[in-house]
Amino acid sequence: MFAYYLQLGLRSLRKNPVLTALMVMAIGFGVAASMTTYSVYRATSRDPIPQKSSVLYNTQVDAFGPENIENGEPADALTYIDVTAILRAHKAPRQAAVYPVSVSVIPDDAGRLPMREGAYANSSDMFAMFDMPFIQGHAWTRDDDEKHASVAVITKDLNDKLFNGGNSVGKQVNLDGRLFRIVGVMANWSPQPLFFDVPNTGGFDEGAAVYIPFTRAIDLQLPTNGNNNCVKEPEAGWDGYLHSECVWIALWTEMHSAAEVATYRNYLNGYAAEQQRAGRWNWAPNVKVRDVMEWLDAKKVVPKESTISLVVSLGFLVICLVNTVGLLLAKFMRRAPEIGVRRALGASRSDIYAQFLIEAGAVGIAGGVLGLVLTGLGTLGTTLVFPEDIARLATLDPVLILLTLLTAIVASVVAAFYPTWRAAQVQPAWQLKSN
Amino acid sequence: MLKMTHLAKVYRTEVVETYALRDFNIDVKEGEFVAVTGPSGSGKTTFLTIAGLLETFTGGEYHLDGIEVSQLNDNARSKIRNEKIGFIFQAFNLIPDLNVFDNVEVPLRYRGMKAPERKQRIMDALERVGLAARARHYPAELSGGQQQRVAIARALAGSPRLLLADEPTGNLDTQMARGVMELLEEIHREGATIVMVTHDPELAARAQRNVHVIDGQVVDLSEEPRFHAHNHAQTARS
Amino acid sequence: MNLQIKPILTALRRHKSGTILIALQIALTLAIVCNALFIVHQRVERVHRPTGLDETNLITVQNRYVGKPDTFIPLMKTDVATLRNIPGVESAYVTNAFPLRRGGWSTGIQTEPDKTKDSLPSALYFVDEQALATLGVKLLAGRNFNPSEVVTVGPQTTPAPAQVIITKAIADKLFPKGDALGKTLYYAKGKPSTVIGIVAKLTVPWIDFDHMDNVTLMPVRFDSGYQQFLVRTKPGQQDNVFKAIPKALYASNRMRVLPEKTGIRTFETIRAAAYEADRGMAILMTVVCAVLLTITAAGIVGLSSFWVGQRRKQIGVRRALGARRSDILGYFLTENFLIALGGVIVGTMLALGLSQWMLKYFEMPRVSFTYVAVGVLLLLVLGQLAVFAPALRASKVSPVEATRA
Repeated sequence: MFAYYLQLGLRSLRKNPVLTALMVMAIGFGVAASMTTYSVYRATSRDPIPQKSSVLYNTQVDAFGPENIENGEPADALTYIDVTAILRAHKAPRQAAVYPVSVSVIPDDAGRLPMREGAYANSSDMFAMFDMPFIQGHAWTRDDDEKHASVAVITKDLNDKLFNGGNSVGKQVNLDGRLFRIVGVMANWSPQPLFFDVPNTGGFDEGAAVYIPFTRAIDLQLPTNGNNNCVKEPEAGWDGYLHSECVWIALWTEMHSAAEVATYRNYLNGYAAEQQRAGRWNWAPNVKVRDVMEWLDAKKVVPKESTISLVVSLGFLVICLVNTVGLLLAKFMRRAPEIGVRRALGASRSDIYAQFLIEAGAVGIAGGVLGLVLTGLGTLGTTLVFPEDIARLATLDPVLILLTLLTAIVASVVAAFYPTWRAAQVQPAWQLKSN
Repeated sequence: MLKMTHLAKVYRTEVVETYALRDFNIDVKEGEFVAVTGPSGSGKTTFLTIAGLLETFTGGEYHLDGIEVSQLNDNARSKIRNEKIGFIFQAFNLIPDLNVFDNVEVPLRYRGMKAPERKQRIMDALERVGLAARARHYPAELSGGQQQRVAIARALAGSPRLLLADEPTGNLDTQMARGVMELLEEIHREGATIVMVTHDPELAARAQRNVHVIDGQVVDLSEEPRFHAHNHAQTARS
Repeated sequence: MNLQIKPILTALRRHKSGTILIALQIALTLAIVCNALFIVHQRVERVHRPTGLDETNLITVQNRYVGKPDTFIPLMKTDVATLRNIPGVESAYVTNAFPLRRGGWSTGIQTEPDKTKDSLPSALYFVDEQALATLGVKLLAGRNFNPSEVVTVGPQTTPAPAQVIITKAIADKLFPKGDALGKTLYYAKGKPSTVIGIVAKLTVPWIDFDHMDNVTLMPVRFDSGYQQFLVRTKPGQQDNVFKAIPKALYASNRMRVLPEKTGIRTFETIRAAAYEADRGMAILMTVVCAVLLTITAAGIVGLSSFWVGQRRKQIGVRRALGARRSDILGYFLTENFLIALGGVIVGTMLALGLSQWMLKYFEMPRVSFTYVAVGVLLLLVLGQLAVFAPALRASKVSPVEATRA
């Protein structure tokens, strides 16, 4: 019967091309608007590292005091004093300090201009913690951290630029006139949102080309390329800065059980209490240990614009649906005589339901195809509407294609329920009465 | 074949109760051709809609082909309509969006018949009413008489046990009406049971038996003065 | 044309679902459209917010020196001189930040040496004697800096020069009596700075800041490898200077990075980049409104046409009973008006609800009543326009229809 109903539906849709076009357009535009904005929303709210997001934790310890923070939320980063103390205690199986630096890469070829590249100074554990993908060599070791070794990991893009994509492990890279030995080359890696550096990037950035040991960067007095917040003026000089109450370093840990997390949190509370006792801080411990998604949520990584446009376009879809309900109602009820005859000739209510829902489904498929085309255009057009860092993440992938079609069909079938119910209520006898 | 005993049909609104049928008794035997006559508003159309399972009734019993139908649900009623009853309406009731072939096909589709059998039956039925050549025409392209013959073909295609006709010639001119009537008589001769509602005594006379309805009840015509029916027959149906 | 409202309402009660659907669609459309238009209005206003600068003929240079010498000051001085010597350049200076750069330095201003509470936040711009001319900012009172007053400040040090120029906004807040000139301010503990000048308006580098006009100009050279240069060109020379800048800078010193996309930009580019998200939001909301209104109008046309088709006979009877064409036209226009009226009443409540919700979750200002009123008017007019064609068709129904079965 499906084929029969489909044939009847298509015939009926062809009969009123204007009405059909209106419905298809309503569904198409509604679906396209919501899918386009959803693609942006999805990109901004997605889990950047799904395989590990529940075992990676950011650490916050309040070094500013309740008067200098808002809503009890400790600063986004930590002081050098606290980071080194927590690293030394080693209460989590893997832990990594990280802060952004900016370096100029000086090519060996004197004829080429220096290049400015984003870089991170981090502990060796970070590579394994974040599953960073190596294509040559490997990460530096904890031993390198200890020795403050002058080593570096670079990305494929930089390797292509400096070494034409050849094997560069063991070669030197010149950063601001200082030589670093390359121990590994990794694929271009920038999970979006850039979860481990949200406070400095807003969550969306191209990622870095160079990674060097945290300990070495401190030796070289490389300042952070990100935010630096101080509640007290630091003493003069680099050493004064390191011992100041300025926050600028992120600390991430990897923990696999609730017990480990509890131990770590207890330790942090104990550490903060100790600082209070020692007179460094005059406030109760305020510690936050959040996994990746909790952290992204707390830092409100999803741009306001993205959520607002999603809400508005969902409203838009609802209006398109109401519109379709009205048009379908008009279309179906115009055929009340036909329904009466069909019922008299033996069509049951479910036959009528099937016939009209399938007709609506056909509108849904047409709307879905139009919606798909418009969504495709929409995702291309997101650069007009959203900043480039975010817009480039919105793409029409198979999941989105499927979702678009599904939304269109479900939407139109949902819209068809009331009109179809009305159609099925048409009494078979009705048409027999004198008309 | 069709047996109603003490059947009642009441239309209730907030204000009044109207009896469309009260203590209605009729027994149509297999192979009979019965004309149901009566004045406008006497309840004969109500009788037909109940007989055709298009409407439910309020009291009494109705056996159709041996089945008591008052307890059946909508699906079962649809099935009986589809398999046992053929309808011929005054206004033809062809679906304007479907051509002749597709119109005749409608009841067969709901019966879930295979395509070759459907085609065979449709062509046979159209052959029967002399319209096989017009299978691809749309109702709007046919005359009234032709449309009614398509409707009869549609009623016949499913080989129903019972044909119900409601003023089958009411919308036709005399010549076309004669053709349709002859067709019905021929179908009857071949063994079909036909119940026809009409207010036209001439038409009624061609049936085997007449049943007269007044005020929702079957009356014995022999006790009723004949002119009574004639008077009412003058009031045209709206 | 006599408007028979009561019979229309009675008729509508018999077509509940169609009436409710049109009214609902109008209500939802109103809710979205007036909020969306309000967002557009706000964003457009933001995009055109003045900075206090003369933004034409202004070029920005983002420069990073390669290597780590003991001090960057000589390099900076050379570069400023190089830029000032490019033909077509009016003036130039080196700084840490400027309006719409979206990155900079802010600190709290105190009026007493040791008080640590209740400071007034201010953005800091490090400048020299050519800054006011380059920015195109006029002094309201006091004087400009002298070249001799420009001091060097090292990294990780809070700058607190002896002289500062502040914006009128700061002056008014700290010294409501209007006697800010010559007063002492504290940007670092125990280090006094004297107000030597007041400028009318200059905005902070950020686009979302609680105190947009709180800016302090400091005669400071900040010893860092990362510097911004601002260059004002003579009228008509912007393109030439734009091309000449990288050549001149690389010619004087190759050991630097001028990033490909963000190295050298006109101020127009800076402004466009700063308000990219706002402009995008305005475009998106405009498109949404346009499509939404079109779809709603199309829906009204569709349903009304159906309605007219369904009531041809009734219309024929009315015509037969003496109704004029204008009566029929009026009937349908009035009917649509009544439905739309119901729609906009519900829609106004929905619009305010949506606005309240956005206020709560996105900290957006409440939609202004003007916008709700404009939306209401827009939808009532749209409804009348949309129903006009079907109503006209209804008015052309012949009285003969009354006699047809």
